[in-house]
Amino acid sequence: MALSKLWTIAYRDLLRNRRRSFFTALAVALGLALIIFMSGMIAGMLESAIQDNIRLNTGHVQIRAESYEEEKQSLLWRDLLEDADLLLTQVNGMSEVEAATQVLWASGVLSNIEESIGLQVKGIDPSSPIHDPVRQGIVAGEYLAPDDRNGILIGQRLADEMGVTVGQRVSLAAGNANGDAEEAVFTVRGLFATGFPGYDESTAFLPLSRAQTFTGTGDRASAVVILLHEQEDAETVAAALVGPGLATLDWRDLNSVLLTAIETGISFYYLMYGIVILIVAVIIANTLLMAVFERTREIGILSALGMKARHIRLMILVEAATLALAGIAVGILLGSIIVTYLSRTGIPIGESSSQLMGDAMTFGTTMYTSFVPADILTLSAWMLAIVLLVSLYPAWYASRMEPVVALQAL
Amino acid sequence: MEIIELENAVKIYSIGEVETRALDGVTLSIEDGEFTTLVGPSGSGKTTMLQLMGCLDKPTSGVVKIDGQDIAGLSANQRADLRRERIGFIFQFFALVPVLTAYENVELPLLLNDIKAKEREERVRSLLESVGMTDRADHRPDQLSGGEQQRVAIARALAPNPLLVLADEPTANLDTANGTQAMDIMKRLNEETGTAFVFATHDPRVVAYARRVVKLQDGQIVDGNAAGME
Repeated sequence: MALSKLWTIAYRDLLRNRRRSFFTALAVALGLALIIFMSGMIAGMLESAIQDNIRLNTGHVQIRAESYEEEKQSLLWRDLLEDADLLLTQVNGMSEVEAATQVLWASGVLSNIEESIGLQVKGIDPSSPIHDPVRQGIVAGEYLAPDDRNGILIGQRLADEMGVTVGQRVSLAAGNANGDAEEAVFTVRGLFATGFPGYDESTAFLPLSRAQTFTGTGDRASAVVILLHEQEDAETVAAALVGPGLATLDWRDLNSVLLTAIETGISFYYLMYGIVILIVAVIIANTLLMAVFERTREIGILSALGMKARHIRLMILVEAATLALAGIAVGILLGSIIVTYLSRTGIPIGESSSQLMGDAMTFGTTMYTSFVPADILTLSAWMLAIVLLVSLYPAWYASRMEPVVALQAL
Repeated sequence: MEIIELENAVKIYSIGEVETRALDGVTLSIEDGEFTTLVGPSGSGKTTMLQLMGCLDKPTSGVVKIDGQDIAGLSANQRADLRRERIGFIFQFFALVPVLTAYENVELPLLLNDIKAKEREERVRSLLESVGMTDRADHRPDQLSGGEQQRVAIARALAPNPLLVLADEPTANLDTANGTQAMDIMKRLNEETGTAFVFATHDPRVVAYARRVVKLQDGQIVDGNAAGME
């Protein structure tokens, strides 16, 4: 039988009960819009968490000594870069590179009379544009000068917690190149707020040369941090910079913990998508089953006229697909509008929830969604597939009706 | 030529533990071109007999042959094939597909039989004309009177050029004028096409048209060839 006639019957049947068909398609549309929004949020969170971390912490590529272990924040000479200046010259000569700088990392404890707080100390070249997010985030006092011997830059949140302000003195303790402890007093030169509470609470900056003197590391650095014009070049650049005794890492290596953590979180969202799709699918199955009951007589007639069971099944499935596709079209439109809008305006999530996301990660106080067409298509395909799957039952039920029994509904 | 043969056909319906013998050993044959009425009180087995002849159901025991083919061994799909190609149905409540127009209702059996578009159109037009429904071809059932709906149903029943048309109380919901018109049309088509018609009815008007009357009582034939009109 011509499929077109099955379609004619199916869609006219849908129009017979316009209100019911409308609300059923609406359920599909809203369900799909909801999961498109959820997936846009996840994609946005993933994307911005990585971008923020690249900007504030890792850069796109890092060069370190081969023996350097990040967790230990080692300051032993053998774990540090010996000729960071030379490397920097080489790096800066590459056309893909936007900016590069050397840093020295140490874990330390910052104290005043009231508080002692563990943090990461970063010895930086204040003139490097890589540190622009911090420079632009200065909210009190001033940024560091390269030759500042006493100044330290701390996050505003950390300052609030310790009860210190600009100009006050704090004591910083850290390990040195021999593995011994060093302690010195610094003056708070300025306070920064980057918009990432976890970062602002656990980071302090010293000029590189002062950090090197303080820790007794000579002119060595923990790493050369490189920002690229294009993120895609990271692998090529990393490969080009490999040298004896050196390890180069690209942004994927540097953000692996973050990536894993987020991907684990995403599986929870897959469960949520599944639940939403199932709810919608049950609504559709219920609508179709009601429609089948109402049309027992009509199905009996079709069967008496010799329509085969598979054609009757197909007719019900065509109805399901029509409802689903109408709903999916609206759902894609609605979901895309929401995601696109929120990718510009963002969703304020507040500082407390930002902190809840974890100190190890850089999460801002505003979450932006990300529009990923491939994800939207995947979710729509799943929606259609699951709806058709659950519609098999009403379709099967309709096709199994004995014509004699169905005709008694006359 | 015999197109339907019932040999000692029995049909038992079981509802819970209660068994109803709707047909109790019926033997009957219907020949090509017959115009026959089954009569009998309610519950005498008329409708059950039509259902067996129409391949809508299988007998509990005994043999039902349609065009020489025993239906006992047929699958649901094979029975659907047989209905589609050999048998037309007319029901008491007209039973048109509500979402299709008169034209489309008549066309449906032809679509189901994969008849080509051009032939389909010619056949639908000629059938609608023969039942006087050409002007109302684009109307849906709910826009047609009972008499008009039944005329469309007659055209639909004849669409696949069946051996046999089975009509269950075709005039029960029609007034006298429409009932007579429907019977006139069926009589005429029977004579023109040679398609056999078998009715189940209480209506003396229908009985009056029949060439052969089969009387049923309690699931048995009490008179297999009572005199009809002719």
